[in-house]
Amino acid sequence: MSWGELGAGALRAALLFAAVGAGASVFAARYRDVRGLASARWCALLALALVALADLAMIGALVTHDFRIAYVASNNALETPVFYSVISLWAALEGSILLWTLVLAGATAFVAWRGTVAMPRLATTALAILFAMLAFFLLLVTTPAADPFAPSAFVPENGRGPNALLQNNPLMALHPPLLYLGYVLFSVPFAYAMASLILGEGGDRWLVATRRYALVSWALLGTGIVAGAWWSYAVLGWGGYWAWDPVENAAIMPWLTATAYLHSVMVEEKRRLLRTWNLALVIGTFALTILGTFLTRSGIVNSVHAFSLSAIGPLLLGYLVAILVCSSGLLLWRSRELADRGALGAPLSREAIFLFQNVLFVAATLTILLGTLYPLIAEALSGNQLSIGAPYFDRVEVPIALALLFLMGVGPQLPWHGASRATLERQFALPALAAAAGAIGAIIAGTRGSAPVLTYALAAFVAATVVQEIARGIRARGALHGERTAPAFVALFRRSGRRYGGYVVHLGVALIAVAIAASQSATVESEQTLAPGGSMSVAGRVVTLDAIRDVDEPQRRRVVADVRVSGPSGDTRLEPSFAFYPNATQPVGTPGISAGPGEDVYVILAAYDQRGKAWATIRTRVIPLVSWIWVGGAVIGVGSIIAALPPPRRRSVRAPAILEAAPAGAE
Amino acid sequence: MALPAGRLGTFPGGVRNALLIGALVALIVVLTLGFRRDPHDIRSAAVGKPAPAFDLASLDGTGRVSLQQHSGKVVVVNFFASWCVPCLEEHPALVRAWERYRTSDVVLIGVLYQDSVESGRSFVRRLGTTWPTAIDDDGRTAISFGVFGVPETFFIGPDGIIAGRHFGPIDEVTLIRGIDTLRRRP
Amino acid sequence: MSAARAAILVCLLAVAGAAIFAAWPSPAGPEERVERIVSELRCPVCQGLSVADSPSESARGMRDLVAKRVAEGRTDEEIRDEFRRSYGDWVFLSPATDGPTVLMWVLPLALLGFGVTLAWSRARGPAAIAPEPAPAALEQLRARVAREEAADL
Repeated sequence: MSWGELGAGALRAALLFAAVGAGASVFAARYRDVRGLASARWCALLALALVALADLAMIGALVTHDFRIAYVASNNALETPVFYSVISLWAALEGSILLWTLVLAGATAFVAWRGTVAMPRLATTALAILFAMLAFFLLLVTTPAADPFAPSAFVPENGRGPNALLQNNPLMALHPPLLYLGYVLFSVPFAYAMASLILGEGGDRWLVATRRYALVSWALLGTGIVAGAWWSYAVLGWGGYWAWDPVENAAIMPWLTATAYLHSVMVEEKRRLLRTWNLALVIGTFALTILGTFLTRSGIVNSVHAFSLSAIGPLLLGYLVAILVCSSGLLLWRSRELADRGALGAPLSREAIFLFQNVLFVAATLTILLGTLYPLIAEALSGNQLSIGAPYFDRVEVPIALALLFLMGVGPQLPWHGASRATLERQFALPALAAAAGAIGAIIAGTRGSAPVLTYALAAFVAATVVQEIARGIRARGALHGERTAPAFVALFRRSGRRYGGYVVHLGVALIAVAIAASQSATVESEQTLAPGGSMSVAGRVVTLDAIRDVDEPQRRRVVADVRVSGPSGDTRLEPSFAFYPNATQPVGTPGISAGPGEDVYVILAAYDQRGKAWATIRTRVIPLVSWIWVGGAVIGVGSIIAALPPPRRRSVRAPAILEAAPAGAE
Repeated sequence: MALPAGRLGTFPGGVRNALLIGALVALIVVLTLGFRRDPHDIRSAAVGKPAPAFDLASLDGTGRVSLQQHSGKVVVVNFFASWCVPCLEEHPALVRAWERYRTSDVVLIGVLYQDSVESGRSFVRRLGTTWPTAIDDDGRTAISFGVFGVPETFFIGPDGIIAGRHFGPIDEVTLIRGIDTLRRRP
Repeated sequence: MSAARAAILVCLLAVAGAAIFAAWPSPAGPEERVERIVSELRCPVCQGLSVADSPSESARGMRDLVAKRVAEGRTDEEIRDEFRRSYGDWVFLSPATDGPTVLMWVLPLALLGFGVTLAWSRARGPAAIAPEPAPAALEQLRARVAREEAADL
């Protein structure tokens, strides 16, 4: 049996089990039938095993260069190294959908076996929805729309090899799987939310059940986005990390609404308000993940990730429409029961800040959506072709981001249900001082532009509020339990992980904001044509071209410029290069980067003498603080882990406020 | 808080819901519209406008090539480079078109873009290019025509207006059709 | 006025002052003018990159042309028009503020204004009072709390 037959057969069998599982879950939920649930569970497990088998079959085909399969012929060649053969699984459309299907099957199995234990009826209904979604994606990979195992029209001697850009860096191993995990895991909160609407449960159980899924999905999506930015910076070689490319926008939009959701969820938990809003956010976030996939795969927008057109575009659009119609229909149907009986009642409270923050996040998301789709709209309406790029998005999003930074500092300091002016003034005195210090420090350091100055001031503000909150927590623990500072510090993160992990995330965000402000406003760039031995000076660094040479590798030919960069601790050798791949018409440039805590020196080989290697045009960028973006991403990751980990077992149970109030009236 | 069993939800009317539904419908319509066009197909803004004048050094070093010299004729300007594989592919079509029209009031001009003089010369020598070729060494001419990348071919009528533009390797049929249309114009 | 309030006001003024000071436009030298113009032009051969960011040869050619025109004394508008003649509106990365595309700048503001007003009215309105549950429901709630705490949700 060939890899292709194995994989295709496994996928079709999985589709069968997904359909049966959907039916079994519906039956089990409707009639509370235990055997129905058992069948659904086994269907989920079998579907997962079969999809995993199909993925392994594809990897097997790639590693053994089985060009009988069209996907392998287009994305693999005899010279492709094993590592890149394996990660070619997600190099192009069909393989990516196959990976997506695997993650979805995994989530379905997890909910089938773990989720249904805690809340049987809700989880089983959610399971039915997950099976339906899995069936859709399995349909995609078993029809010509995205069939990864479609046979080649004729079997070539050698395949085309992976896209040149994807072979250049091992980070290709990380970026797509992280993004897909983030996207797909959000299906679970969505499925639970829909189940809650279908069953008419007006409560918040679906929130509680899916809190961790939402947090993990958010963290993975965020990490995937940062990984993509790093790839853009280190691999694409234009010197930047974010270009507001439609596909980048497609990834960040659901992340923004998911961030809003993570916060407004707390309002629902504490005050039992904003139910309809939270449901709308979940639906919106999930719809944006599908929209994102649609924009990336359908070919209707011009972007870095321009994949080939196929029938998958209309199918994904149809799926998106079905989701939007069903979910908004359900939400509108139930909206009267879910409506809040009243307002928040306190404009200076944490819940109010969360509400404003939500407005800002949603406004940011909608403007990005508008900017990404506007060229489409304009051309359809007037025939005029125009572009919306970085200058627009920067101008619109930076003020929103600054406002969000401000709220990020204010929110955690305000108590629930509001606070008096006097309390607030005492609390914000020190952070305000920090903000002023940050602003004045920035001016003294010569910062130009109001956005960077405000960013530094607000980041200092946020840092000060976090430090203040941690100090307060330590003091409280000292008073309550008599703990000393160090154990109290640790205990804060272990016992109230959600809160203090959140603070760590805020610090990571502030760090990224500072890094972005510095790298965008204070980058110095220079371009010169040098002969070997010549040098150029940029922002106090001397860049010398030592030699230009050829390097032959099995899958590509490279032209490398040996460059030396002077630094505080000696010289660094860099090798910016051009790589020529047999299947690409243009060479792929790779930058040479000397990363440092204060700044990165980024060297690009822009052009070179093709005949005699007598000269090379070197473009050098000195980019301040950019490496802190990656550090900030790691800090956010650590904070998310702290927030997601369950606290150690406690002896006392803390009941919600409603139980504490009840005995006075109910007994 | 679970709802009492058997109670159905209702659809409250209201401006808010209508707005929401309207927005969703608009989004879906916009996305569907996207299928009608290929985002990589950028229309040329130069078509319909007078062709920018140029006066470039000829590739073989024997003088200048300018648009002015050929006013009143049908001019086909083809931007090319030696490193450009599709330029190689389209060359036979250009040869056949040149053979067909060279004795009449049609002129074909090749403009070397983003390439070195030596590479350009060996390219035309190797392929046997017989029509006038020029060098656009600072890229100004290409920018004035709105060139996106080589190969790109522009059709200029006897009135000096750019009548058409072809992006990518051109074929004989398109060349002949374009030239014939322009020749028939008064 | 309390000391804390005074301190906060002073700090706010300091931050605002610093922001305004940093935003003060310094007379743009020719290099800065070129940078500004070139960061709004789209590179024809790249995926959405500006001419400022793109290392491609086409972008460098366009940058050289802009530098030449700035040295000749042309205004920003004249330089933009030259590129518009060749490439159309497509070559500009930011929609114009005159004409129908001004909507692109107005809509985000309108959206924000609408959202903030809505949020403000929801924040200020009378507080929602959660109704008290019946005793049976109370027991259910207690049991559920115990279960969920045990499951570490």
